[in-house]
Amino acid sequence: MFAHIVWLVLRKDFTIEVRSLEIAYTTLFFAISCILVFAFALVQEGRAPEGGAAGILWIAIAFAGTLALGRTFERERQAETLRALLLAPAARPAVYVGKLVGIIVLLMAAEVVLVPLVALLFQAPLFAHPVWLALILLTGTIGFAAVGTLFAAMLVRARSRDVLLPVLLYPITVPVIIAGVRATGALLAPEVDVAILQVWLALLVCFDVVFLTLALWTFEPLMTD
Amino acid sequence: MKLLSALLVVFVSCAAGGALVLAQQPPPQQQDEFVPIDQLPPQDQLPAAPLLVAAYSFVVLALFAYVVSVARRLTSVQRELERLETDLKRGSSA
Amino acid sequence: MPNWFIPLAVVCALMFATAPILIANAPYESTMGLVQKIFYVHLPSAWMFLLGAIICGMASVRFLFRGDPRQDRLAWAAAELVVLFGVLTLVTGPLWARKAWGVWWQWDVRLTASLMGWMVAVAYLLLRKYGGPGSEKLAAGLALFGMANVPFVYISVNYWRTIHPTTNVVPSLPTSFGVPLWFSALTFLLLFVLLLRIRVRLEEQRARVDTLYLSMDA
Repeated sequence: MFAHIVWLVLRKDFTIEVRSLEIAYTTLFFAISCILVFAFALVQEGRAPEGGAAGILWIAIAFAGTLALGRTFERERQAETLRALLLAPAARPAVYVGKLVGIIVLLMAAEVVLVPLVALLFQAPLFAHPVWLALILLTGTIGFAAVGTLFAAMLVRARSRDVLLPVLLYPITVPVIIAGVRATGALLAPEVDVAILQVWLALLVCFDVVFLTLALWTFEPLMTD
Repeated sequence: MKLLSALLVVFVSCAAGGALVLAQQPPPQQQDEFVPIDQLPPQDQLPAAPLLVAAYSFVVLALFAYVVSVARRLTSVQRELERLETDLKRGSSA
Repeated sequence: MPNWFIPLAVVCALMFATAPILIANAPYESTMGLVQKIFYVHLPSAWMFLLGAIICGMASVRFLFRGDPRQDRLAWAAAELVVLFGVLTLVTGPLWARKAWGVWWQWDVRLTASLMGWMVAVAYLLLRKYGGPGSEKLAAGLALFGMANVPFVYISVNYWRTIHPTTNVVPSLPTSFGVPLWFSALTFLLLFVLLLRIRVRLEEQRARVDTLYLSMDA
């Protein structure tokens, strides 16, 4: 039943999005412009700064993620569909997970474009170990999206929601971003230190578990009037 | 609340200044043991008194500023409460 | 205000007056000299910073799951104190570090986590001020995540390489250092309780004003 609701919410979001692809295109374009700005600012005489690629990749993900979260829930607010979702006889955590998986899919799709772009502009060997990279990106995205979906959902009815989302989101997700950057940085080193990589990955998984648990626990009381 | 925001601005600017200073220093080495102070090279021998005085005076000032801020907010709410109560009493007796 | 407030305030003021004497009479630490005396305000501030975050988090949980408005008032007051004592910790720390470590700041785990915890408290206050109606619950949710940060800040220094002293320093303090420290800590704790009480009173009065306005409209 839980999985069925998750699937229904996901399918609803996907169907709406596929019709216009508005959020997908705008988020992607924003992330690309973000990376280009970093490239123009930091690349001197064709050479990128040492070890800058990891940080820039994760900053672009964080910014694009914030934008995508804001836009997704703005759409819910305009059509008042969030209230409809909450009124439905569905377990609230299932609705949350449905929205979460949708955001994760959107962010991963953006990352598919961002990673080659960063690899190209900053001469970073991001594709040397694709499996590790995929793991890092997945765990980091889950952690960021878990907190982001909760906060974006709860801010839907608040004033100044556009500026408050990053204000609330970034201090909480900084540990995830730091771990993601360090892990990616360890992956980009000439000699990959697998031990360090595993430590950061373990931390990422830890954050994911903590954030997901807290979010699932508090989604119901937070969304109730 | 204004006082708190002013304090926040001061702190952020101090932090920004500190970050600028930090950016110009060589990276520190991990300390495994403490080194006696007179064995340090001369440029690292900072006078401690200004830092100590700054720390303690900041603590005193910040605490004082907060107490003043809360007291001001409390008196203004108190005044509004009294005004409302007299208005209600007048309204109900009229 | 409750009966204990004024006597406690007097005691606290007296302790604040006598603390500098105790601190001045404490011996110098062998390696850090005079600047180590910042310890006697830095450590209690840090403890009150973490205590405030815990109180805010627990009150937020109670508010979220039971809806008691008193818990919400407590959470808001505690969050303001977290910002206050966080500022004290994050300013006295670098002032001490400049002399003891040679740098103002280090991006190690404890300092970064503390700074992030402080920013969460600031975000809480911004949300309460600008979030509009319904922001009490949202802020409570935020405070929960912030509280999860607290144990991380405390134990981080024992497990990651850092210049910051470990948690072993306090239990192993000689008495000559310990007396001023615990006296200072008690003073700060009393001050914390007093400030919390007065700040909660502010919220109580605001709530009374709101109910009066509502009764006028009815």
